[in-house]
Amino acid sequence: MTIKVEVFAVPDCPNCAKPQAKLREAVADFSPDKILWREVDLLEEMDYAIDLGVMGASALAIDGKLVFASLPKPKALRRELLKRLEGQPASARTH
Amino acid sequence: MLTIGEAAQRLAVSADSLRYYEKQGLLAPTERTGAGYRLYDSDALRRLNFIKHAQQCGFSLSEVRELLDIQGREGARCEDVRRHAIEKKLQLEHKIRALRAMSAALSELIDVCLAQNDKPLEACPIVAALEAGFAVPSQSEESS
Repeated sequence: MTIKVEVFAVPDCPNCAKPQAKLREAVADFSPDKILWREVDLLEEMDYAIDLGVMGASALAIDGKLVFASLPKPKALRRELLKRLEGQPASARTH
Repeated sequence: MLTIGEAAQRLAVSADSLRYYEKQGLLAPTERTGAGYRLYDSDALRRLNFIKHAQQCGFSLSEVRELLDIQGREGARCEDVRRHAIEKKLQLEHKIRALRAMSAALSELIDVCLAQNDKPLEACPIVAALEAGFAVPSQSEESS
């Protein structure tokens, strides 16, 4: 099972780039076949963002559901991903 | 310099609005006459214009205040304002969707009502549906 992580942000947003990079790093700790990382340009995919209920300039969805209304701390994302990976073989969780 | 009445007339707002903006800390008169009358210069009018148009775009007064604060902040950039504009656009799009859904739900009710013409009010399908909690989606349901 691959978990799809989608980060919604606005291009050139000075407040988004750094937290987004930290989240990218956090996800990179997981096996790439377990986590699919996608950065979504909010302006280009606004309809999709509205479908998911995004209300802020940055947000994070997991498996097509809005889970964080704003960008979470890497620790919170890691915890959420580990929770979802529970039940899968431990060797597949991180690498 | 314009008096409050002249400034209000110039920008098609009420004098009460100007007093309210002042009370809310959004717009202070440039100065007061010896008798205490408020006077507004061109900068104040520009600020008033900004408040008026931002409100027309759907920004609440507290959001307008944030936008004004950004303008007064040293080193503020266009991106800071854009972020607020994008968030407002998202809110408006959510509202538009919710309103469309409500409109569609009402159309359904009207169609049902039309199909059952000449019924007494007790048999009105619109009243019945609304009493029974016909699923007209609220904004929060629409966005969830």
